[in-house]
Amino acid sequence: MKGKNAAIMKEGLWTNNPIFVQVLGICSTLAVTNNVRNTLIMALGVTFATAFGSLTLSAIKNLIPRKVRMIVQVLVLSFYVILVDIVLRAYAPAISKQLGPYVGLIITNCILMGRAEAYAAANKPWPSFVDGVANGLGYGAVLTAIAVAREFLGFGSVLGLRLVGDWFTPWTIMIMAPSAFFLVALALWGSKSLGARAEAKKKAAKAAAGAPAPAAKS
Amino acid sequence: MKKDSIAYVVLFTFVACAAFIAPLALANEFTKPRVEANRLFATHSAVLRAFGIAYADPADAEAKYASLVRPEGSGTDAPPYRATIEGIPCVAVRRTGSGLWGSITMIVAADERGERLRGVEILDQVETPGLGGRIDEPWFKEQFRGELLGPDGLGLDQSGGSGKGDPDKENARVDGVTGASRTSDFVRIIVNGAIAEIKAAGGAK
Repeated sequence: MKGKNAAIMKEGLWTNNPIFVQVLGICSTLAVTNNVRNTLIMALGVTFATAFGSLTLSAIKNLIPRKVRMIVQVLVLSFYVILVDIVLRAYAPAISKQLGPYVGLIITNCILMGRAEAYAAANKPWPSFVDGVANGLGYGAVLTAIAVAREFLGFGSVLGLRLVGDWFTPWTIMIMAPSAFFLVALALWGSKSLGARAEAKKKAAKAAAGAPAPAAKS
Repeated sequence: MKKDSIAYVVLFTFVACAAFIAPLALANEFTKPRVEANRLFATHSAVLRAFGIAYADPADAEAKYASLVRPEGSGTDAPPYRATIEGIPCVAVRRTGSGLWGSITMIVAADERGERLRGVEILDQVETPGLGGRIDEPWFKEQFRGELLGPDGLGLDQSGGSGKGDPDKENARVDGVTGASRTSDFVRIIVNGAIAEIKAAGGAK
């Protein structure tokens, strides 16, 4: 069981990362990553909604008629997203104000529907929950890395803490959406290159193992 | 009942909607007083900051708002707001105007003759974070505090300013935000509109 959970976590965090491999949830990556704090809140919101949405949908999957499958998925996922929105509005009004419409827009994040349809619809509740957590964390890790780069270069700070002196000229472009395009593209390029290199190594090792051993000289 | 029959589909959809929407309605009702209190505190604290009245914590802010500020509209937080500060009768108004991406709502306070600003606060804005969104930063708002107002209201220095705030309180001008000339100009328009409202409210007293 532990091994299975670890394998699901590895899938969501790296080998099937929602940003690098599935290329899902890119819109919010562009929208919220100019500020690390907002990014962390967004990542937590997505992780919560994906995990509990997948758990619920997996638990009731045998009751859902095929004709209304997607409607019910949207209903369940919206339930968790609106819950996050209500809690933020009541208990963290400053963050709620800063995130504005983005919290409500978590429902349009393709990761939620993607995992509900691709995993929760065919698996048991606990693995579906772990898959939701893994994908939320995988999404959050990439988003946070991009947000750290953008906030540092755009403001000279991380989490609002100034890290450089007055000599630093902020890169205004890093605060605007286009910079997220560059950084996501760079991150995709890097991860694909690493993946291709690992694949090539694996192939070479397989080929070496399958090749006949050279004949011994007499 | 078959899972794909119309009756089951209708019944299941109805039950599922009721099961998921009812808790949300309850959560919304349960948190409504807190959300309303947050909204009121946001307005009251913004009015106090615009008047230049310092407060230590939310309880202190509410106490000072209740004792020093007199809202004249209907309700407990409706503008215009009046307060006497250092012996000078002052008025604050809430004004909403266009921004680059959406509306900007501000609280603007000045003496009741509209000759000198007390201060401004941003209640709501959706400008570009890091560019137009910097109108909510202290250095930008602080340059309005105590600024003299000319016959044409307030002017904006977009090109010649230092970009860090105009320290001169007698020139009826403030610096715009570097890289956000349109948002800065929208703020100037809102402030000048608010000054006209303050003059009208002051004269109507």
